[in-house]
Amino acid sequence: MDGLFAQLLTTAFLATFIRSVVPLLLTALGGLFSERSGVVNIALDGLIIFGALAGAVSAKALEPSLGAAAPWFGWLAGMLVGGLIAWIHALLSIKYRADQVISGTAINLLATGVPAVILTALYQTSTESPKLNQGLPLWGVGELRFSPPVYFAFIIVAVTWYVVYRTPYGLRLRATGEQPGAAASMGINVRRMRYSAVILSGMLAGTAGVFLSIGNLDSYVRNISAGSGFIALAALIFGQWKPLGVLGATLLFGFLQALSIALGGTDLLPPTLVSALPYVITILALILTGRSRAPRALGRPYDG
Amino acid sequence: MTTALDTRPTGDGARIALIAAAVAAAGMLLFPLATLGRGGTDADAVLLHLSGRLLNLSSYQDAPLPPTGLILGLGWATLALLVATVIGALRRATWLWITALLAFVLAAAAVLRLDATLSEQVGRVMADTALRPGAKRQLRNFYAGGGMNLGLFLPVLGGLIATGAGLSGRAWWHERYNRLRGLLVPVSAISLAIAVGAVVVLIVQPAVNLSGKPLGLVGGWLAKSDLVYFVYSSLFAPVTSLNPLLDSLKLATPLIFTGLSVAFAFRTGLFNIGGPGQLTMGAVGAMLAGVYGPAWLGWGLLPLSIIAAGAFGALWGAIPGVLKARFGSSEVINTIMLNYIASAVFIFLIGTDTFPFLGRTYHLGLKAEGFEARSEVLQPGAQLPTMLGLLNVGSGGQTAISIGLLVALVAFFVARAVLKARRTGMALLIAVIAGAVTWRIGIPVNIAGSQLNASFLIALLCVAFFGTLMWRTSTGYALRAVGLSPKAAEYGGISVARGTVLAMTIAGMFAGLAGLHYVNGGALDEYRLKGNMPVNVGFDGIAVALMGQNTPAGVVVSSLLFGTVDTGGLEVSRQLENVNRDIVTVLKALIVLFIAAGGFLSRRLTDPPPPQLVAAGAGGPPPGTHLSPDQAALERATPNPNVGQSSEQITREGGK
Repeated sequence: MDGLFAQLLTTAFLATFIRSVVPLLLTALGGLFSERSGVVNIALDGLIIFGALAGAVSAKALEPSLGAAAPWFGWLAGMLVGGLIAWIHALLSIKYRADQVISGTAINLLATGVPAVILTALYQTSTESPKLNQGLPLWGVGELRFSPPVYFAFIIVAVTWYVVYRTPYGLRLRATGEQPGAAASMGINVRRMRYSAVILSGMLAGTAGVFLSIGNLDSYVRNISAGSGFIALAALIFGQWKPLGVLGATLLFGFLQALSIALGGTDLLPPTLVSALPYVITILALILTGRSRAPRALGRPYDG
Repeated sequence: MTTALDTRPTGDGARIALIAAAVAAAGMLLFPLATLGRGGTDADAVLLHLSGRLLNLSSYQDAPLPPTGLILGLGWATLALLVATVIGALRRATWLWITALLAFVLAAAAVLRLDATLSEQVGRVMADTALRPGAKRQLRNFYAGGGMNLGLFLPVLGGLIATGAGLSGRAWWHERYNRLRGLLVPVSAISLAIAVGAVVVLIVQPAVNLSGKPLGLVGGWLAKSDLVYFVYSSLFAPVTSLNPLLDSLKLATPLIFTGLSVAFAFRTGLFNIGGPGQLTMGAVGAMLAGVYGPAWLGWGLLPLSIIAAGAFGALWGAIPGVLKARFGSSEVINTIMLNYIASAVFIFLIGTDTFPFLGRTYHLGLKAEGFEARSEVLQPGAQLPTMLGLLNVGSGGQTAISIGLLVALVAFFVARAVLKARRTGMALLIAVIAGAVTWRIGIPVNIAGSQLNASFLIALLCVAFFGTLMWRTSTGYALRAVGLSPKAAEYGGISVARGTVLAMTIAGMFAGLAGLHYVNGGALDEYRLKGNMPVNVGFDGIAVALMGQNTPAGVVVSSLLFGTVDTGGLEVSRQLENVNRDIVTVLKALIVLFIAAGGFLSRRLTDPPPPQLVAAGAGGPPPGTHLSPDQAALERATPNPNVGQSSEQITREGGK
């Protein structure tokens, strides 16, 4: 027991904690835009995977010509691909009024098959991409050295807060999610707002994927998200669809993930059961959330 | 007030015929007409185009090729008829269906002529005394690999579709068409998924060319399109012969369970994406009962194991159900979390012999010896026989399939029809007697061993249970009411909370029973719980349910389709290095995506028309006496799950 507490006070644990928070935070903030506009987005997990794949593959392809700058273009590619796949979800949900949960699930299912097809075609293997010679640079001091998406994530919290609560775009976004009919009567293009919000969520989830593949590792591996997209969705609900709430929720979930990693190295609990801890906590968090204050028109197609 | 009925095809019918005929005509010009031979290891082919051009991509550069003049003649005639059909569709002509039917007939004749030509070629080769036996065998297999290609497949299919569409003005056809509207969305979704998948194949797999000669632009295109046709014909080939068909049924069995699971929850407006976790826990339950149940039960271990599988799965389904009913938690996120938790429990139980707890090490003892994660072998009493073992009534090593089951099935439906569906129990008794009497009569077959196990029968029982519970009991009525309109159901005295819990519990039971296939049925080559159990069939259940429009019969058909494609995917993976089984995963995901979009079809096309319009259009008796449109409307009223609404809204509505 002393060993565990001692471990929690090290900078190594703090670093693990922060690295656990970042993909959840980026994805949940992306989900915030989408769901605040009224579009359920359980495709986040798939978007992370597509972003990770695009980031790793394009960085690897550009490495011979761009050297150390290649991972940055990988990041850009990951964001763009995340946005593109999110656009598909938006197209089906907004224009074709598909059931938004089924549409999101379809994208997650695509994310289980498409990477293997692409990797097989490019590298004749279906489980991982070749390693980069160097990934994104690590900035920081001592053991607290992180790649740029980590700093980007925490900056985005403030940017999101400002955009959602202090800009006309944010006001329209919230209006679209609460009362699309009233928003339309005030001249707001509800469809365009929703498209932009969903695409934005895809770009942020794509960034989370890029962090996982070339910001934390140096290649894409199968099932790289490990359910982070769904945990981020739970954090979004737990955080009541607010930027600071999302930050608090993801800090909690990230801490528990880091804790389970630390616990896995001790003889206190079975390692395989400890690996389930983040998922158990997610369920408990949803129970505690209870009747949530979701956007009123969340999940409803706009027929105007 | 009857009027003369306009026999011209409807506007929609004409448009469908136009698209079908135009695509078929274009296909004849753009794609290879036929394959005159194909190598067995690299899918290298000899292609024939409508223009008469021959493209030999195979390693058999000197193979003699059969005469093709008649086939080409039939092809050109078919093309002419397709063009006439296009013109007829543009004019909405009454005679449209005639040209379409003739196009279909001539295309089919070309296919038959092609097969006969290839058979004659094989005969000539076998009769040639100058060839060595080995060369003869290779050439025979080479020609056997030939057949129609996209250039003939499309006019056969397009001709049929255009014929049906051209008859859309006839009253009897119009009624029949209205019944089939529900099929438009899944058919459209599958077609679109195939088209997108074809593009993927074109992109990732280079053309196969073993001739050593460079391909021109046209040759390259023909080779690429042949590759697409090869991939899809291989994917769907397993329905064309007995052994692959049995393999497809084996792969379809767990999909029936998981498809029923998703479909059942959908009926109550819930989205059960927890199939993988429920399947895992069901398998764990089946293993615990089958390995550690009391030995004195003997064959009683099997029902005990079945009950355990269902109960464990039901528990894993009940948890998200209770959480939703009690706390308003999203069943989507909770089921996904429970999938991961089930996976952890699974590995904990059979992944290691010991586990630490508060500083001390304890022994668990469920894992079999050796490195691999697996349980001990099930006791013999808990093991499911294969279907072949059950149905084989042959003697002296001869395999003969009993006709008892088929006779019982036919007797049941006939008896029920004769007894006016009021004596189901009596019909069942008659069926059992008929089956027992004819059990010893068998049909000799040539099967090279099949691993299709008796969980297939359990799956069919679940299909019957689903249909009976959902449409013939008051409980089923209540569940469907909750799915269609929670507020109205609550107003009518139905408990939404109870419906939610019950639906998820039964859905979990269905998925849990899929574990029987892998554990008791030995589908993984051993009667054990093993670490490599493919729990992703839980996700395939989503596509199966959606494609089957959440109906029990639809789930069965969809499962067979997916089982077929899964079996075919193995063959494709073996022959082409850049296309592996994951192309099948992509196809399934695309199907879900396109079904979600309603097949990109107009609602006017897929939703049933109001009964008055149908009656007026048919010029028949007054509305109210027509059952077809009402039945079509009822069939079409498949509820979408309410999961799109926020948890609070659903709870609030349920609570009012």
